[in-house]
Amino acid sequence: MAELGRAALLVTLGLVMYALVAGAAGAHLGRRRLALSAQNALVAAFFSTLVASAVLLGALLRHDFSFTYVARTTSEDLPTAYTISAFWGGQEGSLLLWLLVLTGFGAAAVRLNRGWARDLIVWVVPVFAAVAVFFAFLLVAVASPFVMQAAPADGAGMTPSLQNPYMLAHPPLLYLGYVGLTVPFAFCLGALLAGRPDERWLVATRRWTLFAWTALGIGQLLGAHWAYVEVGWGGYYAWDPVENAALMPWLAATAFLHSVMVQEKRGILRVWNVLLVILAFSLSLFGTFLTRSGVVNSIHSFTQSSIGPWFLAFIALTVAISLAVVFWRLPLLRSQTRLESPVSREAAFLYNNLLLLALCLTILWGVVYPLISEAVRGEAVVLGRAYYDFFLRIFGLPLLLLMGIGPLIAWRRASFASLVTTFRWPVLAALATGAALLVLGAGSSVPGLVAYTFSAFVAATIVMEFARGTRARKALGASSWPNAFFSLLGRNRRRYGGYVVHASIVLLAVGIAGSSAFDKAADAKLRPGESMAVGDYNLRYEALDERQTSNATEIRAQLAVSRGDRDLGTLEAGKNAYTVEQQLSNEVGIRSDPLTGEDLFVITEQIDPDGTVYFRVFVKPLVNLIWIAGLVFVMGSLIALWPDAREQRRLVERTREIGLPATR
Amino acid sequence: MALVLAAILAVACVVAVALPFIREPEPESDSLHELDEDERRRLELLEARDRSLAALKELEFDHRTGTISDEDYRALVGPLRREAATALRALDGEGRPTGERT
Amino acid sequence: MARKASPARLVIALSVAAVLAVFLLYTSIAGGGNPSIAPSELGTRTEKVQLAGLVVGPVRGDSHAGGLRFALRDIGGKHRTRVNVLYAGSVPDLFKVGRHIVIDGRLRNGVFVAEPGSMITKCPSKYAPKQDGGPA
Repeated sequence: MAELGRAALLVTLGLVMYALVAGAAGAHLGRRRLALSAQNALVAAFFSTLVASAVLLGALLRHDFSFTYVARTTSEDLPTAYTISAFWGGQEGSLLLWLLVLTGFGAAAVRLNRGWARDLIVWVVPVFAAVAVFFAFLLVAVASPFVMQAAPADGAGMTPSLQNPYMLAHPPLLYLGYVGLTVPFAFCLGALLAGRPDERWLVATRRWTLFAWTALGIGQLLGAHWAYVEVGWGGYYAWDPVENAALMPWLAATAFLHSVMVQEKRGILRVWNVLLVILAFSLSLFGTFLTRSGVVNSIHSFTQSSIGPWFLAFIALTVAISLAVVFWRLPLLRSQTRLESPVSREAAFLYNNLLLLALCLTILWGVVYPLISEAVRGEAVVLGRAYYDFFLRIFGLPLLLLMGIGPLIAWRRASFASLVTTFRWPVLAALATGAALLVLGAGSSVPGLVAYTFSAFVAATIVMEFARGTRARKALGASSWPNAFFSLLGRNRRRYGGYVVHASIVLLAVGIAGSSAFDKAADAKLRPGESMAVGDYNLRYEALDERQTSNATEIRAQLAVSRGDRDLGTLEAGKNAYTVEQQLSNEVGIRSDPLTGEDLFVITEQIDPDGTVYFRVFVKPLVNLIWIAGLVFVMGSLIALWPDAREQRRLVERTREIGLPATR
Repeated sequence: MALVLAAILAVACVVAVALPFIREPEPESDSLHELDEDERRRLELLEARDRSLAALKELEFDHRTGTISDEDYRALVGPLRREAATALRALDGEGRPTGERT
Repeated sequence: MARKASPARLVIALSVAAVLAVFLLYTSIAGGGNPSIAPSELGTRTEKVQLAGLVVGPVRGDSHAGGLRFALRDIGGKHRTRVNVLYAGSVPDLFKVGRHIVIDGRLRNGVFVAEPGSMITKCPSKYAPKQDGGPA
């Protein structure tokens, strides 16, 4: 069966190479059948990649250890769900997943848009194909999942900490995000190559970008949640290069999502948007390069894997060619209109973009600094947590504030008087909240207090917008308040979906501020029967319990938790000793308070043979808002993503009006 | 077995790629319908019209919900209406691109 | 009508300047981070550094009482220098002889005294080709 897999990948490589050459030739020479043939090749490439994927999946499910990849990533007793997740758990399989999603998205994007954007599609196909050529080449020549060996008795198995539902979903979601960013990139370059620098490529890819951005965001949240409950050091984000690898393209994509609105409404920032989408795409490639090559974690470059140089070369080539194309088409990209006032919605979106980019580039600098300093000074210098936290506050807090200002300022030009009327109520609400929090003791952390105050401001503006909008629709003749609300959402999906997403970011900000600026920690060495106090909780270490499961010995310390005179039940925390893998894993105990969203987080640092345990306990206020924010985020994105039949009709009609013949 | 399946796959893909040529061995026109100058201009005018109409609609909505004050509205609605009118006039003046030119 | 310069350019230029200024201010005040070096490069340097190396035994002591003692060696084994380390604080689960770790601290009286809680073990990489054998 491995031969089928290898052959299928070879067929894919051939197809995408053909799509690249034929597509470019067809577009350039204006040959319809050739361009259509190239389009078919891209769609066929998806199917042959699907065949290869099926072969690998089959080998995994059959526990066929004659496949080196299967033997390396699974074992006989691995539960089925995790066996499936081993598909993307290793280098070669994850590249195959990337290629599958890439060809899938390419085929879909091209087919869905061919009704009204045919002159764009003919150039999008070769660009997409070019990216696919790279990944197909890697799979065929450098990192094949179908290498065979003499089958050992059992496979190496999967690291226990990866056997976790979050780790099931985290990589595929991230890939949907990374690969999804290829779509706007390909349409952008396609538009430039076709000489169509206007907004059509934006409109065609708007939902794709939103989808990719959402997937990337949720993937990161899942990763953070995994780190919080599974790795269990008490935090959820460590500014590790691998974490930053996903954050950077997400920030660039966030900036892009906002600035496209400016270009659609006012026709400015064209060059900016083009450069942004190239940056976002390059960062997504760079991000996966960081995770795979082991470049920044190790002192010596490229010792971990041979795949690094290939990625680096491809990124360099992509950036160089993209910039060359932009430079060539620069005259076409000049806009007719301009920014009229530094106090306008366009300007607010521009400030938003600048802040997001500043944060993104600061993080990038922090990630590559060890490499640069090693090249220049011979010594790798690592920037610590303090660096990232500082810049997150400096750029993140104003960004939070802007989130409340932007949606309410007028386009083109806003007068001072109108600003005062619009923001009077939210500012008052925010100041009142800030004062109240100060009285309650939140002054212990200035950035935390500022974050809370700004969040109150933004929350007030969102509530205000929903209230006003619903009232306006009711006045227009909606039958009831709920009807007014839903018709408001239905007719303005993008805008109000966006507001819901903003609300989720507010929740996120409050959760992060609470759990990092106002948390409490305590360490204690306890013998059975002894107690410790953290915040207003009291924990009494009752007993140590030992249990056997199929693959591990579970040791748990039982703690009785109380607050004041209220008994809050028992909490368990401890360690698992895995027999086969000879590894210990930390199993933290978390008690989430349903009313306040606060977590009591218990780590058993060390368990002595005599039953003495070193405990490390955190109280993390509001931390559960972070995970709730994830749900609200998805809801908001869904609202904004939802297909709008009216909008689709208008687009098709426009094409018909100018007499473009309908395609098959 | 695997080789047979691989061969079938390869043949299917070649057919998919050659399909446009097989279906139309002798087409009337093989040229990609590229937009000519007039069609391109008309498309731009249509987009400009849609853009200014959408901006007007948004302004109305913002005014109705109270986001934009009366005086801001009065200041902004004039230029927007003129823009929309210009776009509509330009479109009427163009006429349909293929054939008829009034 | 003369085309007025777009305020956008000015705004962008000012913002970029502001960001750079903040950046320079930070790096001049807070410093540029710690050098990340191998045990063989430590020599007699006494400033704060980050050591990245391979754990070698014997591992003695208790990180929560008196301190955990072990030694670090270069990854790749080209140099045979060992650095003795004294560590207090949380020990990550994955810590054991043969692991790659990263640890902050400074050399004092021949022993590398680590910052409490600064040990980070490298996650067993999903993507690296499996090392056959390992340190002898």
